[in-house]
Amino acid sequence: MKKWLAGILLMCMLMLPLQALAGVPLDTIKANVNGVLEVLRDPKLQGEYGKKVKEQKVVAAAEKLFDFIELSKRTLGLYWNKLIPEQRKEFVELFKAILKDAYVEKITAYTNQQVNFSKEVSLSENTVEVQSTVVTKNAAVPINYRVIKREQDWKVFDVVIEGVSLISNYRTQFREILGNNPPERLLETLRKKLGGK
Amino acid sequence: MITRPPHDHRQNTYWFGLSLCVFLAFFLLPCLSLHGAEGPEGDKVEEISPPSQENSLNKTADEYGDVTEEQTLSAEGPGIADPIEPWNRAMYLFNDAFYFWLLKPAAEGYRYVLPEEVRVMVSNFYQNIKAPIRIVNNLLQGDPEQAMIELGRFVINTTAGLVGLRDCARDCFGITGREADFGQTLGKYGLDFGFYIVWPFLGPSSPRDTVGWVADLALTPTSYISSDFMSPWSVGLYAHNSLNRTSFQIGDYETIKKAAIDPYVAIRDAYVQSRKKAIEKKSPPKKP
Repeated sequence: MKKWLAGILLMCMLMLPLQALAGVPLDTIKANVNGVLEVLRDPKLQGEYGKKVKEQKVVAAAEKLFDFIELSKRTLGLYWNKLIPEQRKEFVELFKAILKDAYVEKITAYTNQQVNFSKEVSLSENTVEVQSTVVTKNAAVPINYRVIKREQDWKVFDVVIEGVSLISNYRTQFREILGNNPPERLLETLRKKLGGK
Repeated sequence: MITRPPHDHRQNTYWFGLSLCVFLAFFLLPCLSLHGAEGPEGDKVEEISPPSQENSLNKTADEYGDVTEEQTLSAEGPGIADPIEPWNRAMYLFNDAFYFWLLKPAAEGYRYVLPEEVRVMVSNFYQNIKAPIRIVNNLLQGDPEQAMIELGRFVINTTAGLVGLRDCARDCFGITGREADFGQTLGKYGLDFGFYIVWPFLGPSSPRDTVGWVADLALTPTSYISSDFMSPWSVGLYAHNSLNRTSFQIGDYETIKKAAIDPYVAIRDAYVQSRKKAIEKKSPPKKP
């Protein structure tokens, strides 16, 4: 009897962790995205004040969900190694600010589209792609989050929208600048973009 | 473990308890800590801060470290030759001006006048009438099953969906389709882009996708509305489709431009990446 019980328990033990491991990245992204959606759909948040609150929530969620250092490293690739530590720090901050400027407002303006999370695909030992679809009135846009395993959590380092990888898109643009210029030129360009908005 | 008597109940209970502890320790604790991390941010900062302080004392500044090979390779996207870049950049500026001065104001007015439900119907109609493109290209890409699905969708949407105004195949029967075009077919046969071309009004393309575009136009019934290939009617319908589509996407281009360091390069790369992706594998479902 006891043996039988232990056998069942052992089976449960073997099955449970597998299930748990398979779902963690997707659940992490899903929980965060749904958390943001809830705020965006909050009918109480109206007008200028509501918009401010929403923007703050989106920024806070992004800070928690994204690994901007990993994102920056992967965007620059080998060029990253040419940057001295202070430049690396500044680059991460500038890049983050540019992404924030461009996307926070757009996400905040988001209305009643539906987000479906379909599945997750393993990319490498410690990276996973979480696949989702944003259903708008006239189209379905696939949005995939590439996440990396950290000590306690999964963090996003790339977003792939309709097959277009964010970091890959920026790398192509940065390459044009870094190809025959010192890293300082890139930082200068980013500073100028942020200042001249 | 092997030496212990097989029927020692106390031992069994002991192992049972121990394995339960191990189970709890390994599989439940990470779950708990993960939920903790989702909670107030203060907890996490407290946990992480001591080692990072040590680091900053030891290594002065570079806590980020160099990149690994995997990090480098992960963002290495496909490229495209751009031998006529001056022409392309000029056309990009032309299309940019066309969007802000004509297309966008027109789409905004159009959106204001027509309710969303009507614009969705228009979108469904144009989508449905392009079924021959998807049927033929799914066949050419060696996917007769998908071609049959597209044919079925066309029959259902044209009849029960009232000449395609409603996507009844999706809404009533849950049948979704898959985009397929001739440029994609050529790509699947191994033909590369060639190089990058920006056409006025039409936007990013390549010799291969331009051929594809013309072939797809030849498979679009609205192209034959009059005996001339480029009659005012067929051009007008094409423009209307574009206007209707744009009415759903106002603000998207602005965001792309705002996010980009060099919008011309950003859009070129987005074109290359999305086309490569469409050719590499089965493209994502067109409608949910």
